[in-house]
Amino acid sequence: MPPVVQVNNLRKRYGEIEAVRGISFQVETGEVFGLLGPNGAGKTTTVEILEGLRKADDGSAVVAGVDVFADPSLVKRRIGVQLQASAFPENLTAKETVEFFAACYDLDVDALALLRLVELEERAGQRQETLSGGQRQRLSLATALVNSPQVLFLDEPTTGLDPQARRNLWDLIRGIQSRGTTVFLTTHYLDEAEILCERVAIMDEGRIVALDPPRKLIDDLLARGFSKPVLRQRANLEDVFLDLTGHQLRDA
Amino acid sequence: MRQTARLTALLLRAYLRDRIALFFSLVVPLMLMVIFGYLNLGDFGRVSLAVDDQAKNDASKQLLSLLKGIETLQITEESTDEALKRLRRTELDVLVVIPKDFAIAPARPGQTVPQLVVYGDDARPQQVVVGRQIIAQVIDRLSFAVTQTAPVVAVKDETVQGVRLRYVDFLVPGILGVNIMQLAVFSVAFALVGDKQRGVLRRIMATPVRIPNLLAAHVVTRLFIAAGQVAVLLLVALVLFNVTIVGGLGALVVVALLGTILFLTIGFALAGWAQSENQVPAIAQLITLPQFFFSGVFFSKNAAPEAIRPITNLLPLTFLNDALREISVQGASLWDVRTQILGLLVWIVLGFVLAVRLFRFERF
Ligand SMILES: Nc1ncnc2c1ncn2[C@@H]1O[C@H](COP(=O)(O)OP(=O)(O)OP(=O)(O)O)[C@@H](O)[C@H]1O
Ligand SMILES: [Mg+2]
Repeated sequence: MPPVVQVNNLRKRYGEIEAVRGISFQVETGEVFGLLGPNGAGKTTTVEILEGLRKADDGSAVVAGVDVFADPSLVKRRIGVQLQASAFPENLTAKETVEFFAACYDLDVDALALLRLVELEERAGQRQETLSGGQRQRLSLATALVNSPQVLFLDEPTTGLDPQARRNLWDLIRGIQSRGTTVFLTTHYLDEAEILCERVAIMDEGRIVALDPPRKLIDDLLARGFSKPVLRQRANLEDVFLDLTGHQLRDA
Repeated sequence: MRQTARLTALLLRAYLRDRIALFFSLVVPLMLMVIFGYLNLGDFGRVSLAVDDQAKNDASKQLLSLLKGIETLQITEESTDEALKRLRRTELDVLVVIPKDFAIAPARPGQTVPQLVVYGDDARPQQVVVGRQIIAQVIDRLSFAVTQTAPVVAVKDETVQGVRLRYVDFLVPGILGVNIMQLAVFSVAFALVGDKQRGVLRRIMATPVRIPNLLAAHVVTRLFIAAGQVAVLLLVALVLFNVTIVGGLGALVVVALLGTILFLTIGFALAGWAQSENQVPAIAQLITLPQFFFSGVFFSKNAAPEAIRPITNLLPLTFLNDALREISVQGASLWDVRTQILGLLVWIVLGFVLAVRLFRFERF
């Protein structure tokens, strides 16, 4: 199968700032691909260019078989998105929010089934703005799935979530992947990338500095003679937290 | 079409759920109506008097200039036909007809004295009484100067049935107009700038939604709300103040909806221009306040200073209020208010161009 995302020499500058400095990479069909990098590395800029939301200065991008710059509207039809900073229309319930986005795609969907998929069925009648952060993130996932997208773009999907909610979201993402959807996500959490992603690209100052499966990146590092100064802890504070508060989702 | 309908249904549901906003959008106009209606704040003391000078001689000019010197009178010169029409609509209080043979000279035996005919609107008895008294006094003075004796001019009183226009009848269309303006400008500007700031529009723009459909949904939603508000306000006006609406409700609704569209385009332009929610009230006030005062909401639009009237007469709300008032008070048809409708249409085109310039969904 051809790669579902193909990026070539992509560039973007905002005035003086060169946010993306000529990056090239591919995302294979069916994988979970992670874009990692510190704040300001250019992740959101890259993702939003691929989503047809921002214009690039140079380069090319093909997403789901469509040239993004030539036909952004068609790309939008074939992908699902979760933006880093966005909100839903006010005064709608969770179910109506899903219906609103279905209307945006001019598609008929079973809103309740989508809410069930993200374990939000009980909250169907609740106002969207009164949902907890984790619930809203799952609602956001439901709205990103209304058009059964070929590729799902998730910009920092687990930022601000508690450990239980993060693990729950990982399960959801794996479930989405298992139904054949390619997932392109950005994150700051390296454990998340290690657990979830088939391959990760590490971005810094607008450039991709490494791109490989997480295991291979780690092995390469070790092969270069790297070793941690202290022995690895057998448990960390997160393990304590999960042990005390349990694994099940709090705000289901 | 289907997309617009679905989006409208959802937006409307969300709008109606915001009970507090809905409540206040009705409370303010109702308060204005009650305060101004009960206190009769706009009932003015002047008597409007038309003169049809058929003589056009020295004597009639003398009479006219004396009348014009009287503070309480607001004098216009017009033909009897025209003036009688306006009298019936209660736009005038009194009409004085000066006959062709008008003269102020000692009466000669065998000759009839010239006769002034004074028409008064029975719907405005106080104004008519004052007007008649003033005319009688003026005639007395003129006669006395010439003959030192009895009056040389006879005065005949006639009564015309005018519509019984009270201040509140005048007021209600003005309240409707101002409410339409506020609703359209403020609701759309606040909602969309909020959506813009919170990233709602960005999220929507990540879908392939057809932008004209989304815009149409926002517009149609507000048209429904505006129609509902007009209905509620009219109902209150009818029940509480027993307001007379002479013209057709259909015509009233058509004009109200045109006005809503007009002010929505301004709301969209404003939403496109403003960067944050804080900027909205300031600019919205700047746009609406002058119209609030100069477009004939509470007082006749002619209360505006003469110097700025050429401008205030062209304000969007002036066209809207004039049309609503002529329909409601004088029973005008849509065809009768075609000038105002044309004015509204021109503003809609201007507003639309401005909105398209300033409000670009693609940018979010
Ligand atoms: N609209 C914009 N106008 C000007 N500069 C921008 C704009 N958007 C992003 N930038 C700049 O471009 C650079 C990359 O930003 P970007 O949001 O892509 O980073 P990021 O990797 O997503 O960061 P984070 O992890 O904090 O989300 C930053 O220096 C940022 O300040
Ligand atoms: Mg980012």
